[in-house]
This record gives sequence, C-alpha cells and structure tokens, in this order.
Amino acid sequence: MPKTLLIGLDGATFTVLDPLVERGVMPFLGSLLDRGVRAPLRSVVPPLTPPAWTSLMTGKRPGEHGVFDFFQKESPDSEYFQFASSRDVGTSTIWSLAGEQGKRVISLNFPLMFPPPAVNGYVVPGGWVPWRQLRLGCHPAGLFDRLKALPSFEPRELALDMKLEAKAIEGCDAEEYADWIRLHTRREERWFDIVRHLLDEDDSVDLVGVMFDGPDKLQHLCWRFIDPETRPAAPNEWEREIIALCDDYFRRLDEIIAALVELAGPDPTVVLASDHGFGPSWDVFYVNAWLEQHGYLAWADDGEREALESTQVGFSRMTRHVFELDWRRTVAYAATPSSQGIHIVRQRDGDDAPMSDEAYERLVTEIAAGLLEVRSPRTGRALVNEVHLRATTFAGPYEQLAPDVSLALADGAALSILRSDTLVKTRAEANGNHRPEGIFAAAGPALRSGETLPEISIVDVAPLLLYSLDVPVPLDMSGRLPEAAFRPGELERRPPQYVAGALPEEQPAVAEPEVVFDSDDEALILNRLRALGYVE
Amino acid sequence: MTQLDPQVLDDVLKLIDELSGDWEFEGEITPETRFLGDLGLESLDLVVLGTMIQHRYGQLPFAEYYAEVGQRPVAERDVSVADLVSFIARNRTLSEERA
Repeated sequence: MPKTLLIGLDGATFTVLDPLVERGVMPFLGSLLDRGVRAPLRSVVPPLTPPAWTSLMTGKRPGEHGVFDFFQKESPDSEYFQFASSRDVGTSTIWSLAGEQGKRVISLNFPLMFPPPAVNGYVVPGGWVPWRQLRLGCHPAGLFDRLKALPSFEPRELALDMKLEAKAIEGCDAEEYADWIRLHTRREERWFDIVRHLLDEDDSVDLVGVMFDGPDKLQHLCWRFIDPETRPAAPNEWEREIIALCDDYFRRLDEIIAALVELAGPDPTVVLASDHGFGPSWDVFYVNAWLEQHGYLAWADDGEREALESTQVGFSRMTRHVFELDWRRTVAYAATPSSQGIHIVRQRDGDDAPMSDEAYERLVTEIAAGLLEVRSPRTGRALVNEVHLRATTFAGPYEQLAPDVSLALADGAALSILRSDTLVKTRAEANGNHRPEGIFAAAGPALRSGETLPEISIVDVAPLLLYSLDVPVPLDMSGRLPEAAFRPGELERRPPQYVAGALPEEQPAVAEPEVVFDSDDEALILNRLRALGYVE
Repeated sequence: MTQLDPQVLDDVLKLIDELSGDWEFEGEITPETRFLGDLGLESLDLVVLGTMIQHRYGQLPFAEYYAEVGQRPVAERDVSVADLVSFIARNRTLSEERA
C-alpha cells in the first residue's frame, strides 16, 4: 500500500472547486477538505505547466531547476529554442530522491518526464509527448506492452494528439465542445486504470503520483460554462448541454479521486495540488508589436502577415521568430506566448562587440518601465501588473537561459507574439487563462483537520511529500516544510530529516529507451540529450 | 541519391519499424518514406523523435534543421527517412571533427 498519494490537478482553482463541492458535484473532495488542510498555492513565474510542475517535483524555482517554458533556449546567446525534456531538469526530483532511499514510485502524466528518468518504479510521462511515441516514454522497459493489455489503454487519448490539443488554446467549433469534454473524462479514467493495474501488480509502491490535466484543458475552452461568475444566466440548449458535461467531468473526477484514495489503503497521506490557478481572460497583448512600436524589434521584410487579424494564441508560430525577425535591427523579442518573457539580444548580427552590462541594464529597465504603462482599452487599467527581471526572479544556475524580462499580465490577459497593428485586442467572449494562485489540500494521519492555512508556495509541496515518505529533505531546496499543516507535536515526535543538497545534475540519469538502437556505442548516450526545434 | 550511412540507416529504420506498429502502419518503410506525408506524423512527432535520436547520437542541430524545413514552401515541408539519415550522418561527422 502506498504511504503517499500525490494527485495533481492541472490548473485547478478553489474558485471553481468550492462551488462544485457546495453544489454536491464533488462530495469526496468536500470530505477530503473537511478532514485535512487546505491553502492557496502560489505558483512560479511564469505560472505555466512545465516550470510549475517541475517546481513542485523539485522543490526549487525555475532558475534553480532549469525549466522556464515548453521550450528551452538552446544556449544563452542562441535565438533557437528546443523542446523541453526531462534532461533539462537540472536537479533531483521527488521521484529520484525517493528512489535513492529505496522507495518505489509511480509517476503518471507529469510533464518533463520524457525521456523517462530511471526512477525506482514506473513512469508514463505527460506533457507534450505525442501518442505515437508514448512507448518511448514508458519506464521500465516492457511497461508499454504490459499496459497495452489493459482494455482501457489507448495511447491516442492518454498522450498528446496535437490536433486535438490546439483546441484548448485556439478554440473550436461549438459542435466539438462536447467531444472535447468527453475525451477528458475518458482520459482521466484511463489514467486511473493504469494506477489500479500497477498497484494490483506491485504492492511495494510507496509514492503514487498521478496528474489529471482535464481541469486545465476544460477551463481554457469552457471557462464561461464552468465559472459560476460567468455562466450564462439563461443558457440555451447547447449551453445547457456543455454546462452539464462540464459538471459530469468534475463529478467523475471526484469519483476517481475517491477511488484512488481507497486504493491507497488505510491512512495514506493524500496531497492534492495544482500547478497554477485559473480565471477569465479577455485581452490579448501583442508584445512583439509593442516592442516593434518602441523600436526594439524589427520584422524581416518578407515575414508572413496572414494572421494580422487573428487573436488566437497558436502553437504553430512558436519558433517562427527566427525567420520573421530582422536580427540586425532587433534587440528584444518574445519567442513564445507561453513563456510570457522577453529575451534581449546582446550581440546582433554585424555588431563588433556584445552589449555592455550598463547598456543591458538600461535597456531592461526601459522596457520594464514602458510595459508598465500599457493600458487595457477594455478596463482603462494597467495591462501589465508586474515585470520581473531575470537576475532577481530567476537567480540560480540556469538563470542565463531564462527570459530577461517577464510579464505578469492583469486579469489573465494572454500574450501573443504575432504581428499586429493593434497592441491589445479584446475577445468577444471570455475564455480561461492561468492565474498564479493554485490549490493545495492534504489529509493524513499527521496533518491537521479542517484547517485553512495561509498561502504556501508550490516549492513547499516537495518537502511535505518527502517528509511523509521518511525521505530526507535536501537543504538546497527553496521549499520549506509547511509546518502549520501538521498536528501539534507531530514534527517533534517524528522530526524531519535534512541532507546537504546535491550539486545540479548536468546530465540526470535517463532510462534506456524501450526501443533501443542495436549499436554498441553506449558512450554517446551520455551526451546531453536535447529536445529539438519546432516545425509547423 | 547520395550513399547513406548504412549503420545510421539501419538504426533509424529499426526505430521507425518498432514504433510504427503502434501506429497501425502496415506499409513498408524505406529511405524514401516521408514522415509527414507517408507515415502521417505531425511536426511534434518529428521533434520528439529527434529527442530519441540524440539519445543515441549525442547533440545534433535539430532545432536549426527543423526551423529550416519549416521555412520551405508548404508542399516541401517534409522529411524523408533518407533526409534524416543524411542529417544525422553529416552532423555526427561534424561534431566528431570539432571534438
């Protein structure tokens, strides 16, 4: 029986979950909250799936673990970005730390787990792993074929189908909403079946982690049907159907959470956490257009302009900046909408020397000040709430790969990197977008009951999980054990153990792929594995 | 056609053969087979496939390569097995020379 159960709910927010509990849609969650502790969970900058879940898994901030976005800068001075992979996670994770102490783990659907790390247990990765290559992501060898024997095992629905995923961000036709919601209900059931199967086969597992990403996917597309504040007052027939299907999704998710806790046996420590919260989003800020308007960026003359009128924040344009920008006349650019970050070009084509430190400081200060002046035409208020500079926000061994200037946008506004003649556009209907405040809830024999704690950080979750497993917490973790979550005297009775932190791992161990090349040049496998660029 | 490195070709064909069983692809995979047009892969599949290829061959400039492919006219935005094998062999050699 596992001692500890980590249930990840991607994008979950109490503003949605609490009303669902109150309406009786999620009764088990309600009972779990009643018998445990809860707290708002502060995400990282940016509040985005890859850096945030990596922070939860490592107890460290992005500058300390090395993951900032779905894509990673190839090198500090490169304009090329690569697909972020497990090899970009430059430090230990809860999975590896538990394994080092002889604990066995199950890690399902967490991002940045591809290629699968060589954990002591099982990995089926999440994130942007295409279904056609899910086999390569399963650890240990042979797991994919064992799982294929399950009637519910369907890689197309468990892993990524890019054509379907784009809908969550870019929107889809009304008739596709229902299928999209049902797909996620089925997907969560399939993940549950894998947990049940693995626990049936292996009773030595100590830590089970499974992440359900339906809340994020549904909230992006269906926010106006999920959020009690924005639900239509007099829904038409189609809207009633979508509202009912969203309720059905959360009702089924609640049943799955209940079944997972039951599978874990008596008195497990159960931790629910999300990587970020959610809220409505109307505005789209065209950051590269702003940079162009202020003389920091120039488009190449032959750049494409067909999306001029689009407010969609699409996957397909994520690395076109390499060819769309005139690098002789560009000193600042945003490469992806998701990173919410601006990179500075410190040495342009034709420059004799890189930008001096003084000039760099002047430039980022000037850009930051200018961004704080941008207004939302919808509200008349500032569109950029906060600007984060790299040296302070991303301090750590991987700081040089981070954006130089990061934006926190007001009211969940989205960022676009596309060309536009208008700096800020407003959507006709609100959709959902990320917020920095996610959820934390935990219940177990050592934890308080029915208490709401002040906000804790997402990096505090890893120490709590390690403590629950009797695994020493590395002292170099930024996260701290949230002591207020524990019953009085519990930490004195069983004091937490600490160990010196390991140096950043340049090349974390990665499991041998299940499909292996038959050549004998194993030394090459030790070379740093980088994910690749992106092609439309 | 330029002579393809037989070891690299063998490696890539073995990888694709094994994976294609999961895709229910029943045709023959040859050096001329195109990943997008014939095998029905999406661009992200190619990106992730490159991840595993680098597992075997070390760091290769896939980002630049795929970015270049992405700039071609739409009808030419594809990569054949032979293209990929040539890319691996060419850049592996360059990497070794630099080393």
